[in-house]
Amino acid sequence: MPRLMLTVVFVGLSLCGGRALADSAPPRYSSDALYNLGNSYARAGKPGLAVLNYERAALLAPNDEDIKANLAYVRAAAHVAREPRSRLAQLGETVAPVTAAWLGVSGLVIIGLGLNSSSVGRRFRRLRVICIPLGLALLAVTVSNALTLGPRVNDAVVLVHEAPVRVTPVPMGDTSFALHEAETVTVTAKHEDFMLIRTRDGRSGWVARGDVGLVVPLVDPKTPP
Amino acid sequence: MQSRLMRWILVIIAICGLSGPIAFADLLGDSAMTYETVEPSRIKLGESATLRVTTLDGYLNGVTLPTVPGLEFEIIGHSQGVEFVNSISMQASYILIKVTPQIVGIFSIPGLTPKSPTVGLEVVSANAPPAPTVRLPKQIPPPAPMSTAPIPKGIQLRVNGAAFVQMVIPSRPVYVGESVPIDIELGVRPDLVTTLNGLPELKGGDFTLKDLSKKPLRREEVINGSPFLIMTWHSALAAIKPGDFSLSVQTPLSVRIDGRSAADIAFSNMLGWPFTQPSNQGSAPKDVTVASPSAALKVLALPAEGRPNDFRGAVGDFQVSSDVSTPQVMAGDPLTLRLHITGVGNFDRVDAPMFDHLDHWKTYPAKSSFTPSDPGGYKGEKVFEQPLIASATGQQSIPSLSFSYFSPTTQKYERAETQPIPVTVSSSLADSSLAGLTDTQSRSAGLKDATRNGLRSDHLLRQRSVSDLRPLYFQARFLVLPATLALVFAGSWIAQRRKAGPAHRRAAERALAELEAAAKRGDAAAFLELARAALLHSFAARWQISPEQITADEFRTRLGAAGPNIDQLWTMAEEAKYSEYEPSAADFQRWTTIVRGQLVGEDA
Repeated sequence: MPRLMLTVVFVGLSLCGGRALADSAPPRYSSDALYNLGNSYARAGKPGLAVLNYERAALLAPNDEDIKANLAYVRAAAHVAREPRSRLAQLGETVAPVTAAWLGVSGLVIIGLGLNSSSVGRRFRRLRVICIPLGLALLAVTVSNALTLGPRVNDAVVLVHEAPVRVTPVPMGDTSFALHEAETVTVTAKHEDFMLIRTRDGRSGWVARGDVGLVVPLVDPKTPP
Repeated sequence: MQSRLMRWILVIIAICGLSGPIAFADLLGDSAMTYETVEPSRIKLGESATLRVTTLDGYLNGVTLPTVPGLEFEIIGHSQGVEFVNSISMQASYILIKVTPQIVGIFSIPGLTPKSPTVGLEVVSANAPPAPTVRLPKQIPPPAPMSTAPIPKGIQLRVNGAAFVQMVIPSRPVYVGESVPIDIELGVRPDLVTTLNGLPELKGGDFTLKDLSKKPLRREEVINGSPFLIMTWHSALAAIKPGDFSLSVQTPLSVRIDGRSAADIAFSNMLGWPFTQPSNQGSAPKDVTVASPSAALKVLALPAEGRPNDFRGAVGDFQVSSDVSTPQVMAGDPLTLRLHITGVGNFDRVDAPMFDHLDHWKTYPAKSSFTPSDPGGYKGEKVFEQPLIASATGQQSIPSLSFSYFSPTTQKYERAETQPIPVTVSSSLADSSLAGLTDTQSRSAGLKDATRNGLRSDHLLRQRSVSDLRPLYFQARFLVLPATLALVFAGSWIAQRRKAGPAHRRAAERALAELEAAAKRGDAAAFLELARAALLHSFAARWQISPEQITADEFRTRLGAAGPNIDQLWTMAEEAKYSEYEPSAADFQRWTTIVRGQLVGEDA
């Protein structure tokens, strides 16, 4: 029993320490504020900035119906198509990433307790049968959430009316095609003032940094655009 | 035979006679492209002369300095200029070499390039009398002019008729700061003027002259019977202070002075062209400055009476107008306000006050551009462009802009004003006309129109803020926690396993020792009971279940091939309590090996 108490105290201290460590930086973003900012840009007729802020809000609250609805609405109004999300992605987005992170930690704790239950006492040996599947299930929630939201960390939104996509990362490079405002692309590499992007239909090229906004900023700005 | 020999001799003489002039002409041609002059050609000991190497066929990077006993050579610089050859101006490059004599004597400096001829330098002692001047005999008249055509009015030939400079300025009084056009004409005789050493410049510092670096207009004229190349610069002049001034323009030139004697000149004139042309050997270039005749100019001060507060020094006659890039704009979108100032005057002082502040508009700094319509920059159009962003919707009006200047024509200050410009500022496409809108505007306006009723309303700020947009599980500082927990639990589990391993092994060895002791005694019941108990505990520990839960089915399921043997051992242990089973030594050995294999993992 003393071992059990020691374990509980250790886990509790670890969780408190981890939470404090995770929240040590000053808060800057909230999904509600980003959503309202997106609404403001949408009303001002700036679909690129509106979509960018909706995407950021969706990263914090992926299951928010208002964000989803307004994002789809602005995209449709700006004539920008976006492929529907798969069922797995929808399932992964049901949990907020913050919740998923702490569920994963909880799963890890439960698996750890299950593995070490025999050392606490013979009576707790049966816990292993319950703890390990439960912990794995919680970890699976976290992993599926990460697999769903992970690619969106590298997304960027076109902010200008027409962004030329060049063959080479130089201002005088040949233009292979153009991106429309509010279009979402994936950034795969960066080179000086250019970013290598890939569109949803598989085309890729270099676009000027100023023409797109990263969903997760490279250097956290003091204030979001 | 003899006549044949004579014919060959005549052919050889003819070839030699032709090749001589050809070689001479070739040499003469080459010498014309690169030559050297030394100035002065007669110096005293202790002085130095300048050897100038001139080439007309490209840039001279450098030359090998000659070796002349008694003379020291030192390169002092490179320069470029214009040479006139057969009335054609050519780019020339020069190398200037300082020649310092060590002894008195007459020196012959060899050509520094294969194409240049030898030049001479006479060095006399420091107290030697000056070189005797050649006095022209009175009876020999000066060379007759080639033509008796009169000299155009206003032109005064300088340097023995080699060049002239004249300027044309307004005869009326001008005002301080006023730009007035000025034409400067420089005429040179290409056969006498070798180099133009600089651009014309005003004498005195009371006026400013616009840059003359642009290529001048060129034309050729015959003046006083001699061909002249005339270059004309159109520029603008501005006075910096009031008063009565005498204005003049001067230009530095190099002129070839004919060094032949009067008798030679008279003889050459008698022979006619080309002997009238001074040769390179017979003349030396001399640097001179040619000035134009002075012209009077009265400069008046700008009147203090009636000077507007916003007057910034513009003097001239100007007209103003304004326009905007688009008369219809959406709130938040920029438009450009343009102010056009056209006319004649000092455009460099034209600085229109654009808006610093405008109600319902956000203002930005203005930029200006000037497009001259004459070479001197005296006439043209100056455009000021200022971006504005509407902050309120509805019918707006951009107020008129005013510009103050002094007009020399009316001799008073004038104020030019533009008309107010109406601008429609709309918040959506529905409020404005579709015509003339760009695709961007229509997209944005369409979005606004669509979002008017389609957007879901704003949220109350309930969600707590985070410091990073990346999900928590992708943040390094958060990953410290699960990593620590995983390490601790894994370490605990491994430590538990390690601790359990030796205890099991010791218990197994103890059980095997007891088994061997029972086998030696031949006590089959004790042997089998001990074997069963040891296996039971071992299986319970291995399978993490209690010994009571272990059944015969467990053996068959979990042990595989070894299961029947263990099952048989179990049965024999039950039967040994009631039967008189007496196994042989080989049987004891076999069962011991089977049990050892299960307890410590050794092969049976």
